[in-house]
Amino acid sequence: MSGTSRRRLLAAAAAAALLLPLAACGDDGGSTPTADSTKPVELSFFWWGGDARAKLTEDALKLYTAKHPNVTFKTTWQANQGYFDKLATLTAGNAAPDIFQIDDNYLTEYAARNVTLDLTSYQKSGKLDTSKFPESLWKYGVVDGKLAGVAFGENTQGLVYNKTKLTAANQPLPTTGMSWEQFISWATAAGAAAKVPGTQDPSADYKAFWVWLRQQGKDLYKGKELGFTAQDVTAWFDLWKGARAAAGTTPPADVIREGNATDITKQLVVTGKALTSWVWVNQLPELQKNTKDELGVMAYPGDPKAQWARASMYFSVYRGSDKKDVAVDVINFLSNDPEAGKILGTDRGLPSNLDVRTTVEGTVTDKAMKTSIDVENTLGKSFGPSPQVPLKGHSTLRSELIKAAESVQAGKASSAQAAETFIAAVKTAISK
Amino acid sequence: MRAANAAKQGLRLLVILAILAIILYPLAWMLGSSFKSQEEVLSNVSVWPEHWTPGNYPEGWTHFKSAAVTFGRFFMNSALVAVLVVIGNGVSCLLAAYAFARLRFRGRKLWFAIMIGTLLLPSHVLIVPQFILFRQLGLVGGDFPYLPLVVPHFLATEAFFVFLMVQFMRGIPRELDEAAKIDGCSPIGVFRSVIFPLSRPALVTTAIFSFIWTWNDFFKQLVYVSQTERNTVPVALRAFIDSSGQVTVGPMFAMSVLSLVPVFLFFLAFQRMLVEGINTSGLKG
Amino acid sequence: MALTTTERPTRHSARVPAGSGRGVRREGRAGYLFLSPWLLGFAGFTLLPMLGSLLLSFTDYDILSDWSELHFVGFDNYRRMFTEDPAFWHAVKVTVLFGVIAVPLKLAAAFGVALLLNRETRGVGFFRGLFYLPSLLGGSVALGYVWYSMFNRDGSFNRLLGLFGIGGEGWVNDPDWALGTLILLAVWQFGAPMVIFLAGLKQVPAELYEAASVDGAGAWRKFWSVTMPMMSPVIFFNLVLETIHGFQGFTSAFVISGGTGGPVDSTLMYTLYLYIKGFTDYEMGYASALAWVFLAAIGLLTVVLFSTGRFWVHYSDGGDER
Repeated sequence: MSGTSRRRLLAAAAAAALLLPLAACGDDGGSTPTADSTKPVELSFFWWGGDARAKLTEDALKLYTAKHPNVTFKTTWQANQGYFDKLATLTAGNAAPDIFQIDDNYLTEYAARNVTLDLTSYQKSGKLDTSKFPESLWKYGVVDGKLAGVAFGENTQGLVYNKTKLTAANQPLPTTGMSWEQFISWATAAGAAAKVPGTQDPSADYKAFWVWLRQQGKDLYKGKELGFTAQDVTAWFDLWKGARAAAGTTPPADVIREGNATDITKQLVVTGKALTSWVWVNQLPELQKNTKDELGVMAYPGDPKAQWARASMYFSVYRGSDKKDVAVDVINFLSNDPEAGKILGTDRGLPSNLDVRTTVEGTVTDKAMKTSIDVENTLGKSFGPSPQVPLKGHSTLRSELIKAAESVQAGKASSAQAAETFIAAVKTAISK
Repeated sequence: MRAANAAKQGLRLLVILAILAIILYPLAWMLGSSFKSQEEVLSNVSVWPEHWTPGNYPEGWTHFKSAAVTFGRFFMNSALVAVLVVIGNGVSCLLAAYAFARLRFRGRKLWFAIMIGTLLLPSHVLIVPQFILFRQLGLVGGDFPYLPLVVPHFLATEAFFVFLMVQFMRGIPRELDEAAKIDGCSPIGVFRSVIFPLSRPALVTTAIFSFIWTWNDFFKQLVYVSQTERNTVPVALRAFIDSSGQVTVGPMFAMSVLSLVPVFLFFLAFQRMLVEGINTSGLKG
Repeated sequence: MALTTTERPTRHSARVPAGSGRGVRREGRAGYLFLSPWLLGFAGFTLLPMLGSLLLSFTDYDILSDWSELHFVGFDNYRRMFTEDPAFWHAVKVTVLFGVIAVPLKLAAAFGVALLLNRETRGVGFFRGLFYLPSLLGGSVALGYVWYSMFNRDGSFNRLLGLFGIGGEGWVNDPDWALGTLILLAVWQFGAPMVIFLAGLKQVPAELYEAASVDGAGAWRKFWSVTMPMMSPVIFFNLVLETIHGFQGFTSAFVISGGTGGPVDSTLMYTLYLYIKGFTDYEMGYASALAWVFLAAIGLLTVVLFSTGRFWVHYSDGGDER
């Protein structure tokens, strides 16, 4: 075969093969088995976590199979790193799992692109029972009026502090309700006394910024727009610039950056480079495991009413799944069945179903876990209404905030300049 | 004379050791950290652990209790994939390289340019199209999930090695080819009697790199493997750092140190074949 | 039959005439025969995804949306890249800076150590292995921890500097130095090109050195007249590949910056930026455009390298130009 005709053949084959996947997608057809049918059904289930969570989840799923022998599971789990890359790739190849774990950083990305199944009808008919959930919690899974994910695990912002070092230096522990200014003064004094910087600088932390905004009646997002202006950002950066100026209050810029990592083992309160870290309440037990010092937790400074019942993660159903009814039934089981709840414990956060939560709390023995549950419950009594689920482009907002804050901390930009750049970048990201 | 040589040898040895000490410090640190307790693993900066914790090793080895597999299983999986890739690359790239390096055929320059071109595109934009392609070909999932990781390598898709072998082959004097041709060899015969035997350094290098890169490849293996028992080493290692309440950084270092062992041994075994110099004078006669 | 040895291999050795037409056709057929696995692999596994990504670069593909939502945007992605995206230019700057510094250093280290290890001293194989160990770590998760621990403010590197009385910096967390730690990491892993250099050194025919000795050449002369020319194909290979890999550097930047390219984008390598755009911002169409611009730029560079190679690379098979 001559060279040119071979090339033409290749071109034709290429065109054909390129169009093939386009043709094959789009049709989700096939009858979806109902939850009560006896036909054998295999559901694919994908989550992130460690080995312990894997064991718990699989045990809970085994319980479901015991009650519904025709339903089996093909489980896949992995570390958080690469999870969303893989989920996206699977989705693109029409191979998304029937049920997958997701969090508020990505829920809108998937929901707005019609990857998640709208669970509203199931909720209305009672097939998905959220009656025992705190209302603000399940509402935190609604995107564009559709219930995109079932909240699995309640959480809220938590400021973790080093009790041991503070008491050793004869310093008062910080308390919920202190204003931001009071907190910074506290940190300056504590830092001087304990010879360790009083607090991590949270200007790069989107959740601290978020709480601070809400305490002023603003919010991170309002509808399809940002809920704040460049002036707010500048004020936020200036607040912490002042804090950094007061000796001993915060660590230097590069150490701040260490603590900005999402890795638990790098948090400054654990590595001993600051007396507090800005995390989520249910991360206390894990942080405690990484240090010999005793840790305590409280709400972020300011009025704790601004905090809310955040869903630490959700379970969503793939819209293209051909086993939708069964999938929803499984999620319903995992969320509401008391035995399943006991198996899953607090590994993903506080159980969403309040009855299950009370039962589970009784079985907890770990001191740090008990503390975090108590704090969460106490704070929960005064939660305000939940904010809307973050918009598409939220990941960009988070990373841009880190970049802007770090540029100010490193002295590369003024607060106002960094705020301008930040706002511009974020506006573009959410308007896509 | 002998003394001067010995002094030169000694000096050379000293230089080597000095450089080695600097180069190996990070690895020594890793080794030391694998014996540190969880509380000190990131706060203790020195190489030596404060609390000697050899328990990290059995802990890491048996970490995956949910799937009831030991880390050894992951070593086997990684080894299997890596060995297959080594064989695939070795065979297919050698054949392609011979064509590019020694044979005249229409379009050769164009195909060579295209081959180099395939090296240039950043791989992240190929992940999704490749996944879709493999799905269409039915290679995804199933009992042997490693097919998408292995099959392409049997068809010389790794241009790096084709180019490497081309360069090595072009270091082989053409007189040898001509000699074989005069003796009546066809191109295949020339390959068999001249090029293949002299391609040992290229093949060894290819084997070493193929093994190591496959052993360390995280993302592709992550995408195509779904069951825990089928995990490969890089995927399994990362599961250690998403702990929620478990003691795992020490065990992660422990398993990372262990996972260096097979690769290191493979390297030592193969690089020995580089020691015996390939010498064209051996073809005289 | 005896190999006639010459003192210095000539550039254009006399070639036996191509022979009859039958010989040429035989070679042509054999050529395609040997090339067939590659052709098959290329057509089956490489061409389609590459063409796919090229096509996608003209769309607003976001990975997740249904194919029916795909819109063609023409050259919009490319236009935006060059005129509306300061991050693009920043990534280019970071990548060029990295490549220009890291690649020569890495090659120099690799070649130097390869020469050092080329003598038949005892245990040389084991030494080689030790020098190669850093490369074995690849992009492993442990490496990220190690480098981060060594190069943060309280890390070993600062303690070492402290011994000499030099004050420490934040290194990996400092926007002014973070890229430096990346460069250091790349150079530290010089084991890979070193092994290739070693293999190449082994392939230099011993009788050339013997002949040179007979002619009274000293070590230096032997190096320049025998080693370097005979090694030039391998040097060329390493130069091209390390350059390509250097500019494509992703894993170390990803691992050390935690996937962000920080601090303050100081480690935002081009392929990392591409990854962020594709998988974190779900702008895969744009990322594909970034990829093809990269291919064009590096392709151009490679062509330049190949053209200049004509002047200094010596091939024993008769100096066949590419």
